[in-house]
Amino acid sequence: MKNRGLSLVLMGGLLAATGCELPPVDTVATGFRGTGMEHVSNPGTVADSMRAIAARIQPASGTAPAAMEPAPPGTWENVQVLGHLSEAEFNRFMLNMTIWVAQGTGQGCNYCHVVDSEGVVDFVSDNIYTKVVSRDMISMTQDLNANWETHVGEAGVNCWTCHQGQALPTNYWFFADERRGALIQNFVNAPRQPERYLLDEEGVRVQSGAALTADVDNPVSTNDTRHAYWVMLQMTEALGVNCTYCHMSPRWGDWEESPPTRTTALRGVRMTRELNQSYMLPLQNAWPAERLGPMGDGPKIQCATCHMGAYIPQYGHPASHGQDHPAITQIGFPHAGSPAPTMEMDPEAPPTGAAPGAATTGAGMR
Amino acid sequence: MAMLSFEKKYRTRGGTLIGGDLFDFWIGPFYVGFFGVATIFFALLGTALCVYGAAIGEGLAAQTWNLWQISIAPPPLEYGLGFAPMTEGGLWQAITVCAIGAFVCWALRQAEISRKLGMGYHVPVAYAVAILAYVSLVVVRPVLMGAWGHGFPYGIISHLDWVSNVGYQYLHFHYNPAHMIAVSFFFTTTFALGLHGSLILSVTNPRKGESVRSSEHENTYFRDTIGYSIGAIGIHRLGLFLALNAGIWSAICIVISGPFWTRGWPEWWAWWLNLPIWS
Repeated sequence: MKNRGLSLVLMGGLLAATGCELPPVDTVATGFRGTGMEHVSNPGTVADSMRAIAARIQPASGTAPAAMEPAPPGTWENVQVLGHLSEAEFNRFMLNMTIWVAQGTGQGCNYCHVVDSEGVVDFVSDNIYTKVVSRDMISMTQDLNANWETHVGEAGVNCWTCHQGQALPTNYWFFADERRGALIQNFVNAPRQPERYLLDEEGVRVQSGAALTADVDNPVSTNDTRHAYWVMLQMTEALGVNCTYCHMSPRWGDWEESPPTRTTALRGVRMTRELNQSYMLPLQNAWPAERLGPMGDGPKIQCATCHMGAYIPQYGHPASHGQDHPAITQIGFPHAGSPAPTMEMDPEAPPTGAAPGAATTGAGMR
Repeated sequence: MAMLSFEKKYRTRGGTLIGGDLFDFWIGPFYVGFFGVATIFFALLGTALCVYGAAIGEGLAAQTWNLWQISIAPPPLEYGLGFAPMTEGGLWQAITVCAIGAFVCWALRQAEISRKLGMGYHVPVAYAVAILAYVSLVVVRPVLMGAWGHGFPYGIISHLDWVSNVGYQYLHFHYNPAHMIAVSFFFTTTFALGLHGSLILSVTNPRKGESVRSSEHENTYFRDTIGYSIGAIGIHRLGLFLALNAGIWSAICIVISGPFWTRGWPEWWAWWLNLPIWS
């Protein structure tokens, strides 16, 4: 009897340690009835992560103007991508960026604006890498809010969506020469780096279109299928969803049977590729050494950069929306007299095609 | 029809649970009983409803008589645990009632036969475990998740699609601990049956001129080959234990997927990494 008591205590402790969830659950159908296509979530688990988001939120300052005239020529010097703003809106946006991005640094404006030898803030100077990067990031956000509504929706995104008040977003990736511990590595060894899919690689089309594959010309290897599995898992983990959120699992590649979420995801992949190619790679020469990865390349975007485990970033919290900020909802232009932004790649920089080894993800890719 | 010698004992009056003497008779070699009649009723009605569903193309984009493609789908999730219109899953609900009715009545008929034979209820209890597995899928889990729509569709291909999708819902179902146990029991059951069946076939089919072997031969064979013989009764107890556990753990592994765990099963094993011993 003593043993029975002990084993009950042990089993109870084991159950408590596993953290099993309890019903009821929330379910959303993502396919025809009876197909088992559904998104299942536990409201308690979701509430926990939403509380964590709410705890991070800093409300944006001010409200968007109803109508806005670009600031008159001569208002500023060296404003290359925000020439479409009025002076008031420009100042509001600068203030918000210190909340969205620079808050964790405690440096306020000075995180991106240098102080000259006389102790005066020199807002014109580009002599600090954070300002160069910020300008590129503003252009990028304008681009994706204006041109990628198919992925980010009408609400769009702002700096906080990814930065969460920190200079560096939680999740980003480098070319890697060593394995580091993403959870997915606990059950799959990555033969290739799955994040490359978000830069310049294709190659997850592995399923044959017919049974009895010996009769079908399908040249992919088992290794290719493992790679495809890992590519998919980095999306799954980033969005906090399962395979059936986007796929009818018996026929992964069949668009006819796929839910519309798969289209949104594909546009997201294409968007991320373009953002990495057009905005992250060109920054290669701007980064200081401490921002570079083990292969000497700068940080790059992945699904988790914005999504951070939620199928809509921050579960659609308005604090992550871009729509109230004209600075980043339309493509900006140089203020009168300012040079157009240029971003040149160094031909000596590590080529995009050289990334041996397995994945490295940014800290906290969980 | 000639009676086998033991059928005299089998064909004794009484032992019925319901209906007294009314249905206490045989048709040919088959005992009828109230539950035999009820089983026939539910089975015929359920089958007729399936055929009706196939005729109107219920649960499909287009009507078909292709046996592989016919599918009777459960209601959409929005009907929750309520009744659905006949052509929107109500048919599935009615067929489910018929199926459970037929299965349970068949188990109770087995119970009546056990009583007539004066034996224990091992057979109906064992069969009830199979019923339990089915009921777990179409009643227990849907109720825990709040909608009949979580049941599986009644179709040859469509139920396989459902299994695939529900498996991938949890990313990698082989990491479900109860699924691991269930699969182990299924394999062990077939392994034990393979050992036992091959032994019985051997001892009961002697070479020409030799006699059927006795249980001492059976025991000696396994003592020689694997060091232990569980014995003639023991193997049947072990077989029952293995087979029932396979069904029970199958039921557990699907009931915990969703109601008690909504994320990927590989992630569940983080409890091991998070044990205070090394984390």
